[in-house]
Amino acid sequence: MTATRTRLRRTAPSSPLGDLARTARIIVCCGSGGVGKTSTAAAVALWAAEAGRRTCVLTIDPARRLAQALGLDLLANSPHPVRLDGLGNGPGSLDAMMLDMRRTFDEVIERYARDPDQADRILANRFYQRLSSTLAGTQEYMAMEKLYELHESQRYDLLVVDTPPTRSALDFLDAPDNLNELLDARAFRLLIAPAQRIGRGYLRGLNLATTAMTKMVRRVTGSELLAEVGEFFAAFEGMYDGFKERAGLVYDQLKHPSTAFVVVATPEGPALREAAYLAGRLAADRMPLGALVVNRIHRAGSVPRVPAAARAKLAAAGADGRLLADLLELHDSLETLAAAEQRRVRDLLETVPNLGVVQVPLLPDDVHDVAGLRRLGGHLFA
Amino acid sequence: MLEALDRARLVVVTGKGGTGKTTVAAGLAVAAAGRGRRVLVAEVEGRQGLAGLFGREALDHREARVADGVSALAVDPDESLREYLERFGFGPLARLLSWAHLNRFITAAAPGLGDVLLVGKVWEASTRDGPRGRPAYDLVVLDAPPTGRVVPFLRAPETVAELARVGPIRGQADRVRDLLDDPGRTAVVLTCLPEELPVTETLEGVAALRGAGLPVGGVVANRVTGDRLGGRAGRLAALGRDPAPLAEAAAKAGAELDHGALATLVGEARDRQRQVARERRLLKELRAGLDGLPVVELPFLAGGVGGPDEVRALAAHLVPDPGDARPAGRARRAAGATRG
Repeated sequence: MTATRTRLRRTAPSSPLGDLARTARIIVCCGSGGVGKTSTAAAVALWAAEAGRRTCVLTIDPARRLAQALGLDLLANSPHPVRLDGLGNGPGSLDAMMLDMRRTFDEVIERYARDPDQADRILANRFYQRLSSTLAGTQEYMAMEKLYELHESQRYDLLVVDTPPTRSALDFLDAPDNLNELLDARAFRLLIAPAQRIGRGYLRGLNLATTAMTKMVRRVTGSELLAEVGEFFAAFEGMYDGFKERAGLVYDQLKHPSTAFVVVATPEGPALREAAYLAGRLAADRMPLGALVVNRIHRAGSVPRVPAAARAKLAAAGADGRLLADLLELHDSLETLAAAEQRRVRDLLETVPNLGVVQVPLLPDDVHDVAGLRRLGGHLFA
Repeated sequence: MLEALDRARLVVVTGKGGTGKTTVAAGLAVAAAGRGRRVLVAEVEGRQGLAGLFGREALDHREARVADGVSALAVDPDESLREYLERFGFGPLARLLSWAHLNRFITAAAPGLGDVLLVGKVWEASTRDGPRGRPAYDLVVLDAPPTGRVVPFLRAPETVAELARVGPIRGQADRVRDLLDDPGRTAVVLTCLPEELPVTETLEGVAALRGAGLPVGGVVANRVTGDRLGGRAGRLAALGRDPAPLAEAAAKAGAELDHGALATLVGEARDRQRQVARERRLLKELRAGLDGLPVVELPFLAGGVGGPDEVRALAAHLVPDPGDARPAGRARRAAGATRG
């Protein structure tokens, strides 16, 4: 990947996103909140659709931003075609969906349950209901689960997914492990079971502690909770292995070279720091890092320096003179801002060698329709 | 603005991601301290966002003095769990097991407990007694999770307590709820940007918070572009068509600016005015949707918000009468120097 990208950058000044949108099977957009991830994901998907690929964009955002960006009123938990003018009879198409995390979790339970009765018992369990809507990372994991399901269906050439702005934008990488650990009833039983049911020897020390743990949890949380938890794990019996296998497949697909992670940021300190952290973390997990998109870049035009003496004269020389002095000051602040942004972007790139970068200028209008996405695409793929 | 700064015991700052929650939380803390209150500002997301704003390398689980009248704290979920267990007499047991084990177990047994502990820690700080029967802090400012997560976060004690109808968790949940639901003691402040999606999300966030019975105190519109060319739009448009008068003024003053440079300057100014006009329109929509809730605007700072100077500058915009306190006076001058 890295070698190809470097070569491309030398021979053609074209955007690193063009290559990804033409060849990748999955593009995951990540970054902190408010950096334009949803619009970027939608614009990439639209561009790929217009380049002839069957494309689907998934968003997880509860604020229905993609719905707004695509001019849709409602997104169900399954892909929904986006009507586009100008695709004609070409092979490309664009679908969009907004993930309903809870529904996805329910679907997963239904898929792996032995029979409808087992599924019903789990779905009705209060511990499950809390788990599926509150456990940190569950949303991210369900997004990846849905992504994998769509990928497996082979209905699409390209899936573009927009990750949620979480406490840690990387929860989705940890989520399968967290969920697996949690759902591993064997591990749970080890902690909660009465001492005599677990083996002897080196486990004994742990046993004494865990039995006391059980008492503690009862005391701190009240015993009804534990009863619910116990019922949940009893109902979950036999489903764990399928679940774990699936999580492994999802993780492997994310690592596959046909997947590309696109880190999205704005040129502000916190967003770039988050991007650097994210890029480092993706590299550590050997996830395929595709490109960095920096949205809302300020640019100043070229204007010769005007010395202070001339500025003072301007300020004292009538309305147009004062106006010109103000215009110069405005230009100075724009230049300062643009230079600070470029410095911050360069600092980030030093920490992530060989990363293709796309800088998108601050656009005069918010992106809220297909035309806006096309304009954004024009900058992303320039 | 924010009446809450003089009155509330707890200000919860939330907002769409990227709208400057942490910066505003720091600014509110400094503004309230400038009005004589003893303030604690706390972050709970482990991002160490507050440290830099107060010129520190990092903050930890111990409250540390970071400015005049301001202490800061980065609430650590592990440490909160430790404290929680100590309080209920499980310290020796907790030390016996590895933290990873314990955390996993607690998380499995009570999802949402992590949030309960974070909220609990903030509740504890805002109700703690200090010397001479005064509260330890007059005000606690919480840099809370973003709008999409804030209601489940603040209601986590309730959620977990629903599963545990008796016991210490239930008892604490009730006390936390009493504080959070009391408009006399608590105010939720939302941060917003003068952009379309943040405005929409702010309005949705206010509705969700009110729907959950949480008292909303106001909105801070952050990074509002300064309008230094106000009232001269017509003249600028004319100069865009014919920059000759500007060329004349430049020549008289000895500024070497050709027509290309002048066109660039006018173009940049007109972009800026379009930006200002768009922001005005969006802030009007925001105010219309907020139904009388106070909205305070903070200026965009071209150099970014890197440390205590900028935080003081922003704090000066958050207090009703910036002339009456020393830190605010200092801040106003800083604002003049850095405003973009």
